[in-house]
Amino acid sequence: MILLEINNRIVEETLTLKFQNAMAGMKPDSVDITVADFDGVLYHMSNPSGDKTKIQVSIALKFYKDLQEHGADDLIQRVYGSHLTDPEPGYNISLLFDLENLPSNQEEVIKKVGLLKRNCFASVFEKYFDFQTQGTSGHKRAIIHYREDETMYVDAMKDRVTVIFSTVFKDDDDVIIGKVFMQEFKEGRRRYQQAPQVLFTHKEPPLELKNTDARVGDNIGYITFVLFPRHTSAEARDNTINLIHTLRNYLHYHIKCSKAYIHSRMRAKTSDFLKVLNRARPEQKTLEKKTFSGRTFKQR
Amino acid sequence: MCLENFSSQVVERHNKPEVEVRSSKELLLSTVVISRNEKERVLIEGSINSLRISISVKQADEIEKILCHKFMRFMMMRAENFIVLRRKAVADYDISFLITNVHTEQMYKHKLVDFIIHFMEEIDKEISEMKLAVNSRARISAEEFLKQF
Amino acid sequence: MTEAHSFGVIPITCHAWNGDKTQLALSPNNHEVHIYKKTGSQWTLEHTLEEHTQRVTGIDWAVQSNRLVTCGADRNAYVWTFANGEWKPTLVILRINRAATCVKWSPLENKFAVGSGARLISVCYFEEENDWWVSKHIKKPIRSTVTCIDWHPNNILLAAGSSDFKTRVFSAYIKEVEAKPEATCWGKKMTFNNIMAEFSNGGGGWVHDVSFSSSGEKLLWVSHNSSISVVNAAVDIQEVHTSRTEFLPFVTCLWLTENSFVVAGNDCCPVVFSCDGTGNISFCAKLDDAKKVTNTKFTAMDHFRSMDKLGSSSEDNITKLGTTHQNTITQVSVYKGTKANCSVFTTTAVDGQLVNWDVKSLESSIAGLRIC
Repeated sequence: MILLEINNRIVEETLTLKFQNAMAGMKPDSVDITVADFDGVLYHMSNPSGDKTKIQVSIALKFYKDLQEHGADDLIQRVYGSHLTDPEPGYNISLLFDLENLPSNQEEVIKKVGLLKRNCFASVFEKYFDFQTQGTSGHKRAIIHYREDETMYVDAMKDRVTVIFSTVFKDDDDVIIGKVFMQEFKEGRRRYQQAPQVLFTHKEPPLELKNTDARVGDNIGYITFVLFPRHTSAEARDNTINLIHTLRNYLHYHIKCSKAYIHSRMRAKTSDFLKVLNRARPEQKTLEKKTFSGRTFKQR
Repeated sequence: MCLENFSSQVVERHNKPEVEVRSSKELLLSTVVISRNEKERVLIEGSINSLRISISVKQADEIEKILCHKFMRFMMMRAENFIVLRRKAVADYDISFLITNVHTEQMYKHKLVDFIIHFMEEIDKEISEMKLAVNSRARISAEEFLKQF
Repeated sequence: MTEAHSFGVIPITCHAWNGDKTQLALSPNNHEVHIYKKTGSQWTLEHTLEEHTQRVTGIDWAVQSNRLVTCGADRNAYVWTFANGEWKPTLVILRINRAATCVKWSPLENKFAVGSGARLISVCYFEEENDWWVSKHIKKPIRSTVTCIDWHPNNILLAAGSSDFKTRVFSAYIKEVEAKPEATCWGKKMTFNNIMAEFSNGGGGWVHDVSFSSSGEKLLWVSHNSSISVVNAAVDIQEVHTSRTEFLPFVTCLWLTENSFVVAGNDCCPVVFSCDGTGNISFCAKLDDAKKVTNTKFTAMDHFRSMDKLGSSSEDNITKLGTTHQNTITQVSVYKGTKANCSVFTTTAVDGQLVNWDVKSLESSIAGLRIC
């Protein structure tokens, strides 16, 4: 599993199960599941006001306000349309499904629900991709505080869209491993010409972010993607969005995997060393001890 | 590694590794440093009843540095299993072994020497292998990601 | 030729034989002294002497009066007398505040000396009026722990090695209990605590053991820089003959005859040297031929157990040394004969073994070994 899934599998599977049950004519159960996803996103699946025939899926994004500025509402409206309902308190978006009146294109709907988070993000990208295709410039840069101390900046120019992620490495070691990864991202691009340009700066924000409130610090890294028209064109657009918005999680996931791997290696090596050290101990210790406590000793 | 049981002559009824307490100058041997270069070196400090071997491992770049650091810390946290491992490395070195007369009494001296040598041989190898593993993982994951575009 | 007995894997720190060599006192690296009796080829534990509270560092058996003296890291020494089938301890007031390191009876067995970490030697003698062992201190100019002592055959002089790299000869004449001594080649003035000679072998290294030859003219010591030094006071009391050897440091030494001696230590193998009239040292032979140890028994269980524990199977990983002893030899003592003419000597080691070495049969089997 090298690439992360962009949809939320738990949400999808629960919905599939519920829908199938309803189709089979079984009595609907009550449901109340809270699911967490990357970037501090929370899903909540429940029966609104105890009605077991209805399922409500809500999503809470801490940074939905930022997204709203960039037309998230419109996009959600466009994608989910009729399923939208008034947001549950504490959540940003709620979708409602009636088990007694299931839509015909179930699978498609379920898929869409799973992509709820991705679609929230998508609004920003789509807006700026549009700016770029239309060739307009001079508008404000989008700033999404997608995590408490991590920010995403999106900016469009005539010929490109730049997406900059700031990411915090909690551990000093992560910074270094992260650097190795980013180095490989840079180099990997040479082999894959169709890929966008990737830049990585450590400690200080890239030039584009000069004179902003972008944070500076030892454990902060900035990843810049320069997306060219071939990435922002209508056909490639969805794929690009899928990839870009998971990048941060992808990176951290692999850093963690690497660390876990190193750790297991160290464990193996340590026990290996211990074995070598054991060679230094006299053998048959227990056997000899027995004779010793018996106050007799063998003649060899 | 020719050690003997030696009770402290400074503090009554104590028996401490002289190489650590350094109470009497005449009980310490002159230290020996064996080095291949600035980075890779071994310090051997002897005394009448204990011996300290400190190893500085090659660290060519940042990643080797953290790998080494992590590895050493990992092992030092398990120092009680290792018996001869010192819980803290001597300043400027990555890892230290403290061998006392108790260890040479319990274990074969020549095998302890074998262990230290084996350790030094393996540690470089292991760190460079880990580094390669991290690098290749980074490469593969980067490629996979970029391929998707 | 050689006869090995194993007493477990616990180190034997020191041992001593009784007069007719049927009994053996040894300390298994703790506070106990075990007395074993030989019956046939078996050793049986007769007594366990538990009076020390810390590790026993020295044992000596007065062969004529059948008394034991032990000293330990608890700063005490005990004289043990055997009566009614048991050993009774008598505490000796050493007046030291650091661990005692070594103890030796004087040849006449009316005194004994205890070396200690308090940088002094306690010479103890029995005071009749008080029914009590009292001690006198030899202090100056010892600057570090006294590691070893040995008595001159005249019962007066005492040689001491110390971790300040020096070997010294003192007078331990105690006017309360003995007649005024006659002059020896080590000097005339023999008031108590008088330093007769002080030697350094130049290179430094802690002195591990000292030994007077049977005539008392030659003094031998071994130090941590792998050197062996001999002084022949009859020829020149100033001249130290030192031989630096290629072996690991020796920790114990013993004269076999007036002209040859055995040393043993970290190399696990006793080595015989000889010295000529003036004291020049020459190498004779190693007494243990390092033969390759082959594993005789091979079982699948052993194989897999060692795979698990040691990370490799046993074939390429021979733990055993080729020598009889598997770890540092701690003490050499005379088994048969005297220092002037020793035919069998005993070694004990950290590996828990006691080995008897028959000099005569070794002489015939090892080429180049001539003991005279």
